[in-house]
Amino acid sequence: MSEENRGLDSIVSHRFGRAKYIIIVDVENSEVKIIKAELNPGGQAAGGAGIKAVQKLVDEGVEAVVAGAFGPNAMTALENMGIKYYQLQGVTVKEALGKLSL
Amino acid sequence: MIISVTGGKGGTGKSFVATNLAVELAKKYSLVLADLDVEAPNDHILLGAKLQGEEQITVMFPFIDYSKCIKCGVCGRVCDTGAMLISRERLPYVIPRLCSGCSACYYACPAKAIISGKRVVGKSYITPVKIGEANFTLVTGMLNEGEEHVAPVVVRSKRRALSANADLYLIDTAAGTSNTVAAAMDKSRLAIAVTEPTPLGLHDLELILTVAEALGIREKWVVINKVGIGPHDEHVKLAKKMGAEVVAEIPYSRDVVETYVDGAPIVAARPDTEIAVTFKYIAQRVAEVTG
Repeated sequence: MSEENRGLDSIVSHRFGRAKYIIIVDVENSEVKIIKAELNPGGQAAGGAGIKAVQKLVDEGVEAVVAGAFGPNAMTALENMGIKYYQLQGVTVKEALGKLSL
Repeated sequence: MIISVTGGKGGTGKSFVATNLAVELAKKYSLVLADLDVEAPNDHILLGAKLQGEEQITVMFPFIDYSKCIKCGVCGRVCDTGAMLISRERLPYVIPRLCSGCSACYYACPAKAIISGKRVVGKSYITPVKIGEANFTLVTGMLNEGEEHVAPVVVRSKRRALSANADLYLIDTAAGTSNTVAAAMDKSRLAIAVTEPTPLGLHDLELILTVAEALGIREKWVVINKVGIGPHDEHVKLAKKMGAEVVAEIPYSRDVVETYVDGAPIVAARPDTEIAVTFKYIAQRVAEVTG
């Protein structure tokens, strides 16, 4: 999750549900295959932002997500949808991939 | 006749005014006091009463019959509160805390795969109160801990209050100007806005009088509480501008604090104080409106 649309250099947002962008990276054997940015539908939601963000991740086939913090509803939803979530702050997408050895 | 006691800002003395006015009015009228501050109901504490007659308040809760689900995802699309997630296998999954019980998914499902169940979100109470010569009924709405959806508890508790037979229904609303406060005030003949001599009290007074106006409440009164802690001439000007009458000014007084500590309404505990006399006056004015 990020507030920026700068590919692998985007800094991971401190928030999950209301981050502006979802930077989706397809990684295979530590190699980035595809990278794209999607607007997070939770960003503009009146309520249930975290859940709207989770729904987008499910629809995009995402298996793991990184953000600075996750709300209780988002965590429940991610766990139930079988999406792994990692809490990292102040790093770029590239650094996050390195830290998680993805 | 319904009378609501409200005010916008929290801590101005809404419950203080509502409970004392209830005791005073109950000497003359059959009365129901409805405590619709469901997130923090406390009129019973101020009246020294023990809550009775508990009834559960439930809302609809969708259970999914997965054997009937055709994986169309319609339930997820119609859900306004984001309580319905659609998994990778296109199966719906409900997050109870977010569900408001609106039933949209139940009606939208083309496969009738949603079973209409129930979920408890709060409670209401009906408590007989006797203070001196005053007898009345207190109806209290209480939201369950951790629940987010206030509206069903306010609406059901109000309905329970109005179903009791009485001449007067006095409604104590929550702070703020949300739609749940508006729902509590709705259908009032008179709205009494309790404010205090602070900038925030003034600001929120304007908001709540605007809500009362929008609800078409004919008579709007202002009670300025804690008079003396700051200037209140702007409050008086604002009330006039908005077509509301400043019906009483209650001084900031140690008498109030002491009766608060004792857990007894001031009109009963200290009937000769200036403040108790002020409540008698407000009750008389209510009698003029009631006819």
